[in-house]
Amino acid sequence: MKQYVTITIDGVHIRAAKGTSVLDAAIEYGICIPHLCHVPGLSDIGSCRLCIVEHVVNGKSKITTSCTLNVEEGMVILSNTEWVKKLRRNNAELLVAQAPNSRAIQDIAVRCGVKEVRYPFRNHDCVLCGRCVRVCTEMWGARAIGFVGRGNGRHVDFPLGVRPDFCKHCGSCITLCPMTITPCDGPMKIGEEYLCGKCESQLSMAEGISDTCVWCELGKGFQCARYT
Amino acid sequence: MSKLNNISDLNAIRKRLRSRRDSISTVITICGGTGCQASRSQDVIDAVRKELKKQKLGRKVLVRVTGCHGFCEQGPIMVLEPGNIFYCHLKPEDASDIVTKTLLKGEVIERLLYTDPVTSQKIQIETEIPFYRAQDRQLLAQNRQLDPCSIEDYLAIGGYSALAKTLAELTPEAIIEKIKASGLRGRGGGGYPTARKWTECRDTPGDEKYVICNADEGDPGAYMDRSVLEGNPHLILEGMMIGAWAVGAQQGYVYVRNEYPLAVKHVRIAVQQAREFGLLGEHILDSNFSFDVEIARGGGAFVCGESTALMVSLEGKVGEPRPKDVHTVKDGLWHKPTTLNNVETWANVPSIILNGASWFAARGTKDSKGTKIFALTGRIKNTGLVEVAMGTSLRNIVFDIGGGATDGVGIKAVQTGGPSGGCLPIDKFDLPVDFEALYEAGSMIGSGGIVVMDEKTCMVDVAKYFLTFLQDESCGKCVPCRLGIDRMLEIITDITEGRGRPEQIDLLKELAETVAHTSLCGLGKTAPNPVLSTLRYFPEEYEAHINEKRCPAGVCQALIKYEIDDEKCKGCGICLDACPHDAIKGEKKEIHTIDQDTCQKCGICIEECKLDAISVA
Repeated sequence: MKQYVTITIDGVHIRAAKGTSVLDAAIEYGICIPHLCHVPGLSDIGSCRLCIVEHVVNGKSKITTSCTLNVEEGMVILSNTEWVKKLRRNNAELLVAQAPNSRAIQDIAVRCGVKEVRYPFRNHDCVLCGRCVRVCTEMWGARAIGFVGRGNGRHVDFPLGVRPDFCKHCGSCITLCPMTITPCDGPMKIGEEYLCGKCESQLSMAEGISDTCVWCELGKGFQCARYT
Repeated sequence: MSKLNNISDLNAIRKRLRSRRDSISTVITICGGTGCQASRSQDVIDAVRKELKKQKLGRKVLVRVTGCHGFCEQGPIMVLEPGNIFYCHLKPEDASDIVTKTLLKGEVIERLLYTDPVTSQKIQIETEIPFYRAQDRQLLAQNRQLDPCSIEDYLAIGGYSALAKTLAELTPEAIIEKIKASGLRGRGGGGYPTARKWTECRDTPGDEKYVICNADEGDPGAYMDRSVLEGNPHLILEGMMIGAWAVGAQQGYVYVRNEYPLAVKHVRIAVQQAREFGLLGEHILDSNFSFDVEIARGGGAFVCGESTALMVSLEGKVGEPRPKDVHTVKDGLWHKPTTLNNVETWANVPSIILNGASWFAARGTKDSKGTKIFALTGRIKNTGLVEVAMGTSLRNIVFDIGGGATDGVGIKAVQTGGPSGGCLPIDKFDLPVDFEALYEAGSMIGSGGIVVMDEKTCMVDVAKYFLTFLQDESCGKCVPCRLGIDRMLEIITDITEGRGRPEQIDLLKELAETVAHTSLCGLGKTAPNPVLSTLRYFPEEYEAHINEKRCPAGVCQALIKYEIDDEKCKGCGICLDACPHDAIKGEKKEIHTIDQDTCQKCGICIEECKLDAISVA
């Protein structure tokens, strides 16, 4: 039999099954915590650091990722404080500066409140969220791709750089890749990258309308866990 | 050697070994640690042995090759007993003099004695050397008394008596209570109370538990763990056994850097010897305690010194940290409860059990007890491994032990705690080495590296150095560490190359906060410390770089210019010949000039000029 615990997220009491993560519990109750590397059904590695929340223990706040934090009785979580929003925005800014050529990443940036990018853009085609690696390893057991290298040299590759026979071209890695959706205005050329932010004006209009969650509208774009 | 079946066997053999040890009074102790090996101590050892054989003293004199004494810059080091005579900078040719003069005639050889760089006096007795005198060597002193490859030496000086006491008299709870009363805290950097870790691990249900010794020391310039592990491996094993008994583990691992070949070799020999003596294995000393240790060699990643990454690496996977929302004491190696401690932490355990918690707690400050080993390096007269009681001030370490600045340049700052630590300016030198005091000042004890910097060091360049190191060593798993450190380095590089803008300082601070709070593991969480502490204590250096495009210390190459003083230059042509880039022009006996476009700012000309005519502007 499932055991349930009660936790508090942003002041709301939530009943969640033991063993679920804070992120899953929050999404189930419609509390949107932005996330990128989390995919329902796959293990959570806590690499994008967008789903960070404040975990309050004995009056002290600690920043942690909600995807790797399992619910416990009486847990107090703050998902939307100014501090969390600022740290989340900074991480989203780092991401969008690295890979502006993805609608998913651009949407995440808008959603996390990035108004300007203070770093020179780099037009990379991977943000190392690891969604592809985990779906290949965990869902299909193929292990056809994995992470290679460390630090700046970290990248996703086939073993020894050659596509192995056990890759069956299933395409799951591509389906889950946030880089496959180009920005609305088409791919950005190197040297001409910008923070799109076009949906922001629409969002601020929709904010006042009841029954419309602007975050969810954006979430559809980058495969938010609510829509998969 | 026969197996030790019970504690009386152990005591009997110890008695025998001790009387054999006492029967030889003339002992030549030569350091065979990695530092001295690098300055050819092995040749000295061979030469001394050969000479003793020649003089037919082989049976009367014992040559003991020990682990690191700590004073590596003086190596190879020798201490002669009786008399406690200290010889340094030895060469194989000195062997015959040492044997014929000092051993046979009792003469002290003046040229081999240590010269105090502060007073320029020769010092004969080891314990009177200021470098040693100002220390409180509890762990390192043992290195000098034993051959790390000999369990007999360790037994003779009382080794494994803490284990015997543990198995005979103490329950696991009593041990944890003792450790708790001693106030021992993790020596690897975090300073987490050891007893709390052990209690949590013991209280977690599970039949299978592990203890791990973290010897994956990676901080640049730090080698405390290496010296303890390679100099006294049985001490670590004994500590681990006591810890395993306390938390209920049957299996231990020593995770040691593969770049420490001597430490790997010595700890392997130690484990083999302990197994032969029955100190590792089933039913140790006739108790119901069974324990074994395996050696795992680290594959060369700095991040594997982080506890979760270390465990992942031990499991045979790529060493990347995993989220620590559930602590490793509950969910560690192979998802079993695991107690991981640093080499130095384990090394402190046996003496706490033997001498009592109050003996240990007598040293130190309110919350930081005992002694701590530091690797003292940088621009000071004496460098090496130093062990001091917690609470000793930085000033004592730098000036009393370190002997103060070299070549008359003023000391500006110390960098403590390696890449995760920070820089403290000279007006903070009265701070005690204490976990909290240094943390509040923006630095940390860390694993124990202390780098002393003088006026010729550019603090922005120091921050850049550590960021480069961390960017290289970040595993790249999480965004703030991979991209955040990279962007911080990008900004700092801009600043050192004259492209800095004032608003970048605020961005740097904000980025530092993000990286510190949102990174996955300790590497990322502490990575901004070098930047934050230099920003906090040396803002004027950043401002000079940004606003005036000037490097006050004359280090950042893009911001400096080498110039020849017209009045001092005599046109000798030395610098002209020395310049590898042909950037210096001028006829003989005429004033030389430096072509700024060709100059690569290597600094060779400054070193070569006898007239002090070249300066950095």
